[in-house]
Amino acid sequence: MSVSRLLLASAAVAILTSAADAEQPASPDAKPAAAAEHQHAAAACADPRPDCAATVNPAFDAKGKLWVAFSVGKTVYVASSGDNGRSFSAPVAIATTADGVIDAHGDARPKIVALNDGALLASYTTRPDKQMIGTIFTARSTDGGKTFSAPQPLLTEGGQRFETFVVTPKGRLYAGWLDKTNALKAKAEGKEFEGSGVAFGWSDDKGQTFAGRKILMDHACECCRMSSALDRDGQPVFLWRQVFDGNIRDHYAAKLSADGATLTGGRVSDDNWAINSCPHHGPSLAIDANGGWHVVWFTRGKNRQGLFYAHSADGGKSFSAPEKFGDDAKAPGHPVALAAKGRLYRVWKEFDGTTTTIPMQISRDGGKSWSAPRVIAQTEDASDHPELLANKNAAYLSWATHKEGYRLIPLPRDEKSAAAR
Amino acid sequence: MPISRFIACAFAFALASSGAQALDFKPYGRGAFAQIAKAHAGKPLMIHFWSVTCPPCLAELPQWSKMTGERKDVDIVFVNTDSDEDRARAEARAEKAGLGKATHYSFSDDFVEKLYFEADKSWRGELPFTALVAPDGGVTSVTGAIDDPLVTKWLEKRGGK
Repeated sequence: MSVSRLLLASAAVAILTSAADAEQPASPDAKPAAAAEHQHAAAACADPRPDCAATVNPAFDAKGKLWVAFSVGKTVYVASSGDNGRSFSAPVAIATTADGVIDAHGDARPKIVALNDGALLASYTTRPDKQMIGTIFTARSTDGGKTFSAPQPLLTEGGQRFETFVVTPKGRLYAGWLDKTNALKAKAEGKEFEGSGVAFGWSDDKGQTFAGRKILMDHACECCRMSSALDRDGQPVFLWRQVFDGNIRDHYAAKLSADGATLTGGRVSDDNWAINSCPHHGPSLAIDANGGWHVVWFTRGKNRQGLFYAHSADGGKSFSAPEKFGDDAKAPGHPVALAAKGRLYRVWKEFDGTTTTIPMQISRDGGKSWSAPRVIAQTEDASDHPELLANKNAAYLSWATHKEGYRLIPLPRDEKSAAAR
Repeated sequence: MPISRFIACAFAFALASSGAQALDFKPYGRGAFAQIAKAHAGKPLMIHFWSVTCPPCLAELPQWSKMTGERKDVDIVFVNTDSDEDRARAEARAEKAGLGKATHYSFSDDFVEKLYFEADKSWRGELPFTALVAPDGGVTSVTGAIDDPLVTKWLEKRGGK
């Protein structure tokens, strides 16, 4: 560590310590002054718990236990909670990277998947120090999360990031990710290549091995997360930002065929966001019991700017006209959608210069109409992107914030109870 | 803010005493945008935000290097938006692009919404992002590449080379 970097770290710590003095969190989750040992400037603490992580990915298992994957420093952890996130088990370390970086910032994050029979799959992406490409690793637990297998790379060549998983009722585990293999090949040949490929694989042995692992489409925007959901017919649907001709970064949704060989779907909207930039701002997909695809996304396109919602009733062949939501005066961003027992939810982030809020809306008619936005959580410091998840019929917001720590917040079942909150 | 001034002094002192030649990132936290704008008041200023996780940013860094050499009439400041884990990589990329001697800041605060907001109320972190600050403090923000017509026009307004 160079002198200057050491100084930078201590300078950051100095700022942090003074801020902590001024604003002592009142919640029982108040973080100890362990900040001084943490390398990451604004992270609130360095303990291996979700409260100290920049990103937290949650999943419920079949028994209703909450699992979270997160990283602190150079280690990826999994922990569980039997009381909906109020307390967590001692974390299990999945892996520590000797060199390189664990992708755990913004859209990128370690993940946890609960499989049908109680097995668990944890995943994370590392980026080596020298190259801007990633390797996705997975680790399995078959003893209820007590121990995890040694992480193994999904692929060892090319470069992969932004993995997402779907489990089918039959127990097949599908994976989708952004894959730079073709991009690297083109670069080596001195050819122009926009973005990444979108690649898919599946596992019938609970993540021990993955078949497929092929790029089925090229030119996805390489810095935005991919989203996925299970369709009514048991096949997975994926959603990502695609780079269309003319550097237009709009969205594409498609279903993977049963043999994993083809994608069927289409463009979500013609925002016409033609820009040679990285939005770092991926979309979110939810599918309801009738097979309706519901998409939320962010754009600054020529045709529209802000957060939008659209749905498809014909498997992605066509989408409804994009409908705007969010308060443009508060830089709305990072929207997520969830379908749970006849209801649709959408949440996102807004910021007014001081406070970050999570507004929520419910639809009980398949996305035709939505309740008035209602703020369900807020914070006045750094925070993760919001995530939504369901446990049987109940829906929750999962959100990690520096001040309050990790929170799992139940979502109201209808507009009336939403208004009463 | 007394703390940040103290840090700035400590930095200057450390650099002077260690004679460090390597590229150094000054911390960019809450209030930094206004502080930088103020420090460069009276001169046209470009504050360019970039990240190693943004391939278009990396691709155009050499062009920024060229611009810093050619446009001595404009102050250009670089802000790396990565977290500390990526800083070594950012340093290597900046140096490779010929920006070793440029003025560099880096995000030192995870409250990124606040840092974005202070530069532009509608910015959500898309990169590359450049704030064009006129001598009178007026800010034009540009998402996208250095050859964006907004950048070219703004530079033309500031006079030729």
